[in-house]
Amino acid sequence: MLEFSGVDTHYGDLHVLKSVDYRIAAGEIVCLLGGNASGKSTTMKAIMGSVVPSRGDILYEGRSLKGVSIAERVRRGIAPVLEARRLFPRMTVYENLEMGAYTQRRGPEFAEDLARVFTLFPRVEERLRQIAGTLSGGEQQMVAIARALMARPKLLCMDEPSMGLSPAYVEQVFDIIQTINRQGTTIFMVEQNANMALAIADRAYVLQTGQIILSGPAAELRENEMIRHAYLGELKVD
Amino acid sequence: MSDYGVLLQQVVNGLSLGAMYALLALGFTLVYGILELINFAHFNVFMVSSFVGMWALEFLGISGQSHVLTGLALAGTLAFAFAVTMIAAGVLGVAIERLSLRPLRGVRGTAAMITTIGVSYILFNVILLTVGAGSENYPNPLPVVRWQLGEVTLELKELLIWGVAVALMVALHFFVSRTRLGKAMRATAQDAEAARMMGVDVDRVIVTAFFLGSALAGAAALIFGLYYNYTSFIIGYTAGLRAFTAAVLGGIGSIPGAMVGGLLIGLIETLGGQLIAVRWTDVIIFSILVLVLVFVPTGLLGRSAPTKS
Amino acid sequence: MAELEKPLIRIAAPLFARISPRLRARLGIVLVTTAALLFPLVNQNDADIDSAANALAFAALALGLNIVVGFAGLLDLGYAAFFAIGAYAYGVASSWQLQPQWSGFWEPFQWLDFVTRFHTAGADVVHFQVSFWLMLPVAAAIAAFFGVLFGAPTLRLKGDYLAIVTLGFGEIVPIVARNTPSVTNGAMGLNGVAAPQLFGYNFGVDATPYYYVGVALVAFLILISQRLKDSRIGRAWMAIREDEIAAAAMGVDRVRFKLLAFAIGAAFAGATGTFYVAKLQTATPEMFMFPVSVMVLVMIVFGGIGSVWGVVVGALVLQILQSWFLEDLSQWLHALGRLVNIDWLQRVELASSIELIFGLILVLMMLYRREGLIPASRPVPALTVNEQTAQAVRGGFSGLPDLGAVDHDAQGPLLDITDLTVRFGGLVALRSVELSVPAHAVVAVIGPNGSGKSTLFNAVTGFLPAHRGNIRFVGEEIGRLPPHAVLERGIARTFQNIRLFPNLTVAENVMIGMHARLDIGPLGALLRLPKTRREEAASRERALEILSLFGNRLLPRVDHLAASLSYANRRRTEIARALASQPKLLLLDEPTAGMNPAETLELADQIKSLNRFGLTILLIEHKLDVVVSLADKVVVLDHGEKIAEGTPDAVRRDEAVIGAYLGRSAAFARV
Repeated sequence: MLEFSGVDTHYGDLHVLKSVDYRIAAGEIVCLLGGNASGKSTTMKAIMGSVVPSRGDILYEGRSLKGVSIAERVRRGIAPVLEARRLFPRMTVYENLEMGAYTQRRGPEFAEDLARVFTLFPRVEERLRQIAGTLSGGEQQMVAIARALMARPKLLCMDEPSMGLSPAYVEQVFDIIQTINRQGTTIFMVEQNANMALAIADRAYVLQTGQIILSGPAAELRENEMIRHAYLGELKVD
Repeated sequence: MSDYGVLLQQVVNGLSLGAMYALLALGFTLVYGILELINFAHFNVFMVSSFVGMWALEFLGISGQSHVLTGLALAGTLAFAFAVTMIAAGVLGVAIERLSLRPLRGVRGTAAMITTIGVSYILFNVILLTVGAGSENYPNPLPVVRWQLGEVTLELKELLIWGVAVALMVALHFFVSRTRLGKAMRATAQDAEAARMMGVDVDRVIVTAFFLGSALAGAAALIFGLYYNYTSFIIGYTAGLRAFTAAVLGGIGSIPGAMVGGLLIGLIETLGGQLIAVRWTDVIIFSILVLVLVFVPTGLLGRSAPTKS
Repeated sequence: MAELEKPLIRIAAPLFARISPRLRARLGIVLVTTAALLFPLVNQNDADIDSAANALAFAALALGLNIVVGFAGLLDLGYAAFFAIGAYAYGVASSWQLQPQWSGFWEPFQWLDFVTRFHTAGADVVHFQVSFWLMLPVAAAIAAFFGVLFGAPTLRLKGDYLAIVTLGFGEIVPIVARNTPSVTNGAMGLNGVAAPQLFGYNFGVDATPYYYVGVALVAFLILISQRLKDSRIGRAWMAIREDEIAAAAMGVDRVRFKLLAFAIGAAFAGATGTFYVAKLQTATPEMFMFPVSVMVLVMIVFGGIGSVWGVVVGALVLQILQSWFLEDLSQWLHALGRLVNIDWLQRVELASSIELIFGLILVLMMLYRREGLIPASRPVPALTVNEQTAQAVRGGFSGLPDLGAVDHDAQGPLLDITDLTVRFGGLVALRSVELSVPAHAVVAVIGPNGSGKSTLFNAVTGFLPAHRGNIRFVGEEIGRLPPHAVLERGIARTFQNIRLFPNLTVAENVMIGMHARLDIGPLGALLRLPKTRREEAASRERALEILSLFGNRLLPRVDHLAASLSYANRRRTEIARALASQPKLLLLDEPTAGMNPAETLELADQIKSLNRFGLTILLIEHKLDVVVSLADKVVVLDHGEKIAEGTPDAVRRDEAVIGAYLGRSAAFARV
């Protein structure tokens, strides 16, 4: 469904992603792991379109995303759950959800999507008229995921969904991610918390200073010592 | 008239002026909310628009107070004048954004603000050189109707101002809270990057903000002319100072703040002029501006203002 | 061209090309000065000389605004207020405006020749007649005082808010002047301001003596500007302009230097105000309103913000444009209009559209040439191939320049942090953290994203206040000190996102690191005493010494702008800058971020050798191999709390640490 082919990105003269290849098939949960400054966030931004690769190509459903605007990508079915949630702080939960559906036509689908979201997130329905900025971190994360779902995505890109959340909420969030996936949405998730991520993912990639050093089925990676080395930032000098 | 009556009259006058300042401040704050840009040119768009309004009315054959209309003719004339003025102002605002501000979008610092000072100058001097430095007698089709309420005199034109101002503010409120584009504007003002991720066309939002903001200035300009029966090249400076302070006082970037700030400044101007002296009102208003920025930069209703981290 | 001139040029041109830039500059100055001095003799037209004198006044104003806006980066939109203050100071002190009743109180002033006793019909009054020459510095001082007064409230404000507040003050002054006619005679203008007198010669109405005073004034102000610019003061201002945070971290007292910029800029305007009003022999509030402030701003934008000669040229060109060129151009257009029979052309008066032209210039310059006619930064020669390539070298530094403050015999903890709790953005970013850095050790702080590592640095260096707890450095409590004072005590830092001064050269960046260790004040900079010159030369040498530690990577780029460097080189420059401050403790925030493995190892070795020479190091680092090779002790933070401490090997195997990085185990597993 999504494919990175030899992608390089730069930030000024800083070489961030170095010839990375990802492949995500429809229906999977794939997670991208790595320590700090490994290029995880940049990957997300490249998918959404706010970072443009300096080399290589990103293919979605077989077509290149080169030159495709962010709005168009959302319309084609890629929706982000942003790092640190980034809800619109002074808008209500309902209005945030409306913004999630910005690229969708206003019609009966909107009500349907709302209903679906309410089933998944009963808490969100309770807090519908509340100002988003006043919600707790965990509640905001729910709203953020709900907001992304309003765009009827085929591919949900999640950037560090567990960050800043209490353990109870982390479990809830990962639970919901699995449910959404079972309902048919492909999930590509950047995560710091490797243990939790690998527990629910099908496959995973491990990134270190912009390069993929490990990839494979989650079950295998869970046992792999290398992960620990990668996370603790041990260099591979060869 | 008793002292109390004089004061009450000034309150009424202040509210009328305040409504006009509120409209002008609203337009200014709309742009600031999204771009965090202090747009000096806004106030001379206001000034230019008042001339456009004048020419629109003259086009209909009205000059000075010679033609007085009532009923449908009046309504139609005013509708035409407001439409022309507001649209012209909006177009001017968008042109300014396109030509002089968009190229500077990424530049950090005060470069964009300085550019708006330059644009403001250009507008100011174009009018000065073409129309001249004198006051122009504003065409006014309004009949002079007065009502006496106790010690206070209420004029038709004041009702008109309040009516138009309230209508526009309600319309704006409706726009930002119920329409798709309006909500996109609010979202962009709160987090432009996240809005972009929702598929919002941020460029379009910015153009809309400039158009609407300038159109509001245009409405305020026509109101100015009808209320004071004159216009001149300098009104951008005088009214602008007050509207700017109103926006800051209410909380720069906040829409309700601009409304509240506008009314307050209108009252301060009339009551200040009455109780102290007219020639000191500029100093009073500048002092309020400085004091608010230094001590309460968020204003009365605004969110936190940017300071050094 | 006359026959005589061609061969002369053929001889002169190659000679000219061989003269060094230094000498060329000197020659240029001599030529300009001669031209300026000869001008009134060549062109005897009094109106022209008068225009030239006005132009010089604005050149002086441009120089003053250049200090505030160009050097220090503070956008002052109310600059004309200081012009007004200087003008009215002299205007009141030396005119018929004020005439209080005569009394014994005034006698000592009469003796000093400040006043005379004047007989009028009613009674005897005081006539003020303070000497113009005395008022020049006095008005400058009064204006400087107001500069500080108006500048003080703006110290914490962001750029555009600062501009608005200064605009506010700038407008209040002329309005007050208009509304107090008893002192200023309001809009009608001051009454009978006295002309200057020099050894009995009264300047009168002839423009020529004023012109020469103007030349002298501008020359003097150019000298002051240049001297300040090329000194520790100028560098401190530019550091503030480029990056206030980094400037503070490198020891620049922001409050002091911002106020200094306001004061000196205002002083320039104050002196100019006195000059201008003496020449006009009156002053009205209209002369000092917002349009005048804008005009001076346009002049410096046009000429080149930050460039001393640039703003002078900008001011002169625009003034001369206004008074001469536009007049002539209008005449041309009239003639053209008559020729092609276009009525509008025959009537156009360009001189009155000068403000429109200024507006256009401002917009066009901002859009297309923000650096101005004569940009402040000079182009640099390209690098040779050799200079461009550098190989990573292992082994670190073989020798260090004298780092000054390192006390090799120090015992006990250099930095002792106890029970530190810091709140940031509504959250508790650090909670009861205990950390002690022994002298001459390398301590590493590690932890996952968001664990509070940078917050720790910010608290130690004075950028964040501690909610509770103590931070002791060499026994002294430093928790409440502002950043520049922390640097003075001996703690220097680098930033995670690299905060260099982008529009300053590499050398200048490093020299700012020395700011707190140098002694030169504004007076020293102005007088350029031998002691000052020696200190400046020595500091540049030290900068080069420190930069040479990084060999070929930085030395060839010494005069390149920091913004043009590669990421890794900017990191190295930042470290060099920190070293220049002669720290006892060096705080490095992810120094190897963004470097490839070879560069990482090179830098790790270099940090190790810094430590071997006595420098204590506290380091935030992600690459655990680097940490293992460098650190004596590792402290692990997670969610603002310390969860482990010990040797690198111990920490690396610690279950809690691994858990923190990899995340708490799932309570359930996918089946």
